[in-house]
Amino acid sequence: MTATIVAQQAINGIVLGSLYVLVALGLTLIYGVLVQINFAHADFVTLGAFSAYFFMHMLGGSYLASIGVALIVGAALGWLINVAIFAPLRRRGSELLPLIATIGVSVMLQNAMLSLFGPVPYAFETPYSQQVFRVAGTFFTMQSIIIIVVSTATIGLLYAFMKFTFLGKALRAVSQDRETAGLMGINPNQLIMLTFVLASALAGMGGAMLAPVLVLTPFAGASVIVKAFAIVIIGGFGNVEGTILAGLLVGLIESFTTQYLDPGLIDIVVFGLLLLMLAFRPTGLISERREENV
Amino acid sequence: MRMPSGLMLALGVSASLIASAAVSNAQDKTIKIGGLLPMSGPGAYFGAQDKQGVELALEQVNKTGVNGYKFTIQYEDSACGPLPATQAAKRLLDQYKPDVIIGEECSDATLAIMPTVEQAKIPLINAGSSAIKITDPGNPWVFRIMPNEVMQGVDIATRAYDRLNARTAVLLNENTNAGIGNAKVFKETFEKLGGKVVAEIGFGRDVNDFTSIATRVAGLGKVDVIPTYTLEGQGLKITQALAQAGVVKGGDGAAIQLGTIWLPFGFEQKAGKAATGYVRIVQFDPTDQRPLVRDFVSAFKAKFNADPTHINAHAYDQIMLIADVVKRGAKDAQSIRDTLATTKDFVGVTGSVEFDKNNQNTKMDTIHYMETKPDLSWTALKWN
Repeated sequence: MTATIVAQQAINGIVLGSLYVLVALGLTLIYGVLVQINFAHADFVTLGAFSAYFFMHMLGGSYLASIGVALIVGAALGWLINVAIFAPLRRRGSELLPLIATIGVSVMLQNAMLSLFGPVPYAFETPYSQQVFRVAGTFFTMQSIIIIVVSTATIGLLYAFMKFTFLGKALRAVSQDRETAGLMGINPNQLIMLTFVLASALAGMGGAMLAPVLVLTPFAGASVIVKAFAIVIIGGFGNVEGTILAGLLVGLIESFTTQYLDPGLIDIVVFGLLLLMLAFRPTGLISERREENV
Repeated sequence: MRMPSGLMLALGVSASLIASAAVSNAQDKTIKIGGLLPMSGPGAYFGAQDKQGVELALEQVNKTGVNGYKFTIQYEDSACGPLPATQAAKRLLDQYKPDVIIGEECSDATLAIMPTVEQAKIPLINAGSSAIKITDPGNPWVFRIMPNEVMQGVDIATRAYDRLNARTAVLLNENTNAGIGNAKVFKETFEKLGGKVVAEIGFGRDVNDFTSIATRVAGLGKVDVIPTYTLEGQGLKITQALAQAGVVKGGDGAAIQLGTIWLPFGFEQKAGKAATGYVRIVQFDPTDQRPLVRDFVSAFKAKFNADPTHINAHAYDQIMLIADVVKRGAKDAQSIRDTLATTKDFVGVTGSVEFDKNNQNTKMDTIHYMETKPDLSWTALKWN
């Protein structure tokens, strides 16, 4: 019985952690390249979730296709917000203005969604949430399998993009030294745009994956973003591998805290770990020099 | 002695001006109602549905007015939280200067605004917060028209034991005044009757994934009932997770989930098959055949093209109760408070109202038990 419960909570933790990773990766990408925190990231997640919901329920699309739709909507929104708001502010040379602007964008998006979609929670059901498999005393849904498969594939693709493609290498170059990368013929502004689009696409897709798990309201993303920030810090700001490890770790901590302590203590345990990391290992789980991040 | 004609004319004009001003005053007499409702955050669905009930009631009472009074309302978003509710209450009191306030829904928010309304000496009518502290000890300016957590908790624990033959329970509650308080009352009553609470699981409002909690419940062995105290969003996820874990009837398990008035109508349709067998208290029975209720249902459908929920009905009753005290002669904050306190025979669409010395409604006919059938419709259990 105990072994079954441990196995079940491990499954629960990995599924939840995979979702956290999808959200946290976008944050860490932006920080890695721009050294900027995007407070509007949560709302990109929410918008992705609503895009998927309406694609399924109004246009009759499939859930798997809705993940792609949310990814595209997230990418488009990232491009638009960067072109219209963040890029002009960055050109003024201030680091503070774009940071404050992300808070403004967040409030604006939340209120726009509140007036468009209303405050009543939406029930985002997929055909896969009801398909429950019971194996050796454990249970998991088809939705959980999709979450793990899509998350793993996304992480793998992102890793391959960063390591093996010209654009990925250019992105890492910009993250290491924007000026030198510029002197080498790389256009930093285009790479910053690419970062925003990638991060927002991940947020949108994360929203579609989270929507069946989340309580879907215009404030849905805000409920996971605090954890995502904690994951980014525990993993090491801007460190992709660290973020993946930290996301899975936080998911597992939540599951086992619920089982053996109390769900009311989850935040104390997670944020206690965050404080310990800041005190004793401020570079994050995977120690790496800042300039090698992303 | 004869008055000069000019003076007579002037007196005549003045008299008619005074008379017309008096008529105009009588027509302009207004009772200002403040609405402290959550319109953002996780409890925003309360505010949205409260406003519908308020709008319908105001439309009806303002058709003819009551004792020459019309009713107006101004809303402030109290966001189901102590800090935003206190700020909203202060804004409302400073700027709108209401004669009476309705709200809040969440107990923590209501408890936070109680000292403010007491200081301002403005009566507050509450229909959504169950924490015992609101009326015990409470304060002279706060009235609650629904049963408190003790009345609900004792009743639901007794029914679980007597009617459902439950002997074991797991308590799931959000870590708020109302969540903890409701769970505590259930536990005390259930154990006094001879039942056993095998686990008490509290959680914050930021928890999204309830699979781990459902796993823990599944690992506890046979459980008869699972009283659950959460807002709608988390309630949906808990019900679905318990079904996936095979714990509750909706997931082919044996346990029956028990719920309170926190959940709006339509919850079952959102939760789907997982909600099958769910037994919960609603404070408005849509199958009630009293003419008052039938009229309310048809008027609501005509205005909003939807069936009313208990949240709509609660808000409707709050306004109708205010109209009732004005009909009984109340005209300002002090007289509204004093008249409210003497309420004994008010009949609303949710049930009847009679306040005790702490301004708590003592009537239990506002508690209706509903069981969710496999087709997600309700059976009224008629336990009260």
